[in-house]
Amino acid sequence: MTNFKLEIVTPTEINEIENVSYVRCPGSDGSFGVMKDHTDAVIELGVGEIKITKAGKDSYYATSGGYAEISREKVQLLLETFESSKNINLDRAKSSIERSKDRISNKRNDDMNRAELSLIKALNRLKVSYR
Amino acid sequence: MANLKDIRDRIKSVKSIQKVTKAMKMVAAAKMRRAQQNMEKARPYSRSLSEIIEHLLPETDRELLPLLEVREVNRIAYVVVTSDKGLAGSFNSSALRKAQNEIDEFGREKVDIFCIGKKARDYFKPRKYNIIESYIDFWSDLNFNNAVNIGNSITNHFISGKVDEIHVVFNEFVNVATQRALTEKFAPLEVESNKDKISDRLYEPSKDEIVKSLVPRHLNVQMWKYLLESYASEQAARMVAMENATSNSEDMIKDLQLEFNKARQATITTEMLEIVSGAEALKG
Repeated sequence: MTNFKLEIVTPTEINEIENVSYVRCPGSDGSFGVMKDHTDAVIELGVGEIKITKAGKDSYYATSGGYAEISREKVQLLLETFESSKNINLDRAKSSIERSKDRISNKRNDDMNRAELSLIKALNRLKVSYR
Repeated sequence: MANLKDIRDRIKSVKSIQKVTKAMKMVAAAKMRRAQQNMEKARPYSRSLSEIIEHLLPETDRELLPLLEVREVNRIAYVVVTSDKGLAGSFNSSALRKAQNEIDEFGREKVDIFCIGKKARDYFKPRKYNIIESYIDFWSDLNFNNAVNIGNSITNHFISGKVDEIHVVFNEFVNVATQRALTEKFAPLEVESNKDKISDRLYEPSKDEIVKSLVPRHLNVQMWKYLLESYASEQAARMVAMENATSNSEDMIKDLQLEFNKARQATITTEMLEIVSGAEALKG
């Protein structure tokens, strides 16, 4: 058996995926892959793309960060947001990009970090949606 | 004896009120079910985050993060969670009463208030309490971002040193029939330490980094939990209140109907008496 159970938990929903062979996560220091019998770990995730391989098929998801909790029995991803590449609302992502760019270039918002972060998140969703 | 038309009008108006309360009860029941489901869904996330924190916090230096800093308590912030709308039994009044008692006990001039829901604002504002911010009109489309926004501005108030502790007053959802006004300490964060240590666990990038990013997230999730509990409680309280109102109006209709029948019978009796006595008089 080289498969494991993946649990994706967000504040508003829970997804359980059985028989996952590989998952690639965007760690805050670069992405990493998890296969069965990974050592126990808690790893911080950043904004990026999650790739899940199940029965030879890959699926892609966008996330805005969270944690991966890896233990013997299962891998749990605690994510703030989790969107399948197929369900991303392109218009919303694009308008969000425009909005944050506008904020950054006009510098009228003193909270630059927030504008930048929302731009990164929107770009990531756009990128993942082209998968 | 009231006249027949008056009674008939009153029956009519009570019946139409009953229709409204019945409809409100049904709406509240549906909303409550949804709120309960949302609570169920939020639980695993908050439990997993708390578990990680419980493991990490005992080993963490409290000076690592302002949110963990325990200071001498000179000023407190109170977050009072209520609804925007009334007609929910004692839902709002019990939370407000509890909050006011605790605030007055500590000294109202040393307390900053964050009002969540119109009812809290409408209660504390005319009484000249020190309101920092009010959040209203979001309950109808409650989502996680609301919790993040509220959580962030409240924790900023703490981090900037304006207050030394944050308390939250909200209605805990015990079950459909019972909701309880409750106070919980929001910051500085305190968790029960978990003794069964997981050895050899890898932390990336490092334990301290994880605690730094985890604590604010954990607090946002806590805030989300308070909002969900309060929303479910509000709907449950409204459902029960409207249920009572419906059955009270049922009783009222019954009483009015009886009064109406009596009055009608009395009129008939009087009329018959008049006819009989008129006939008697004619016979001479």
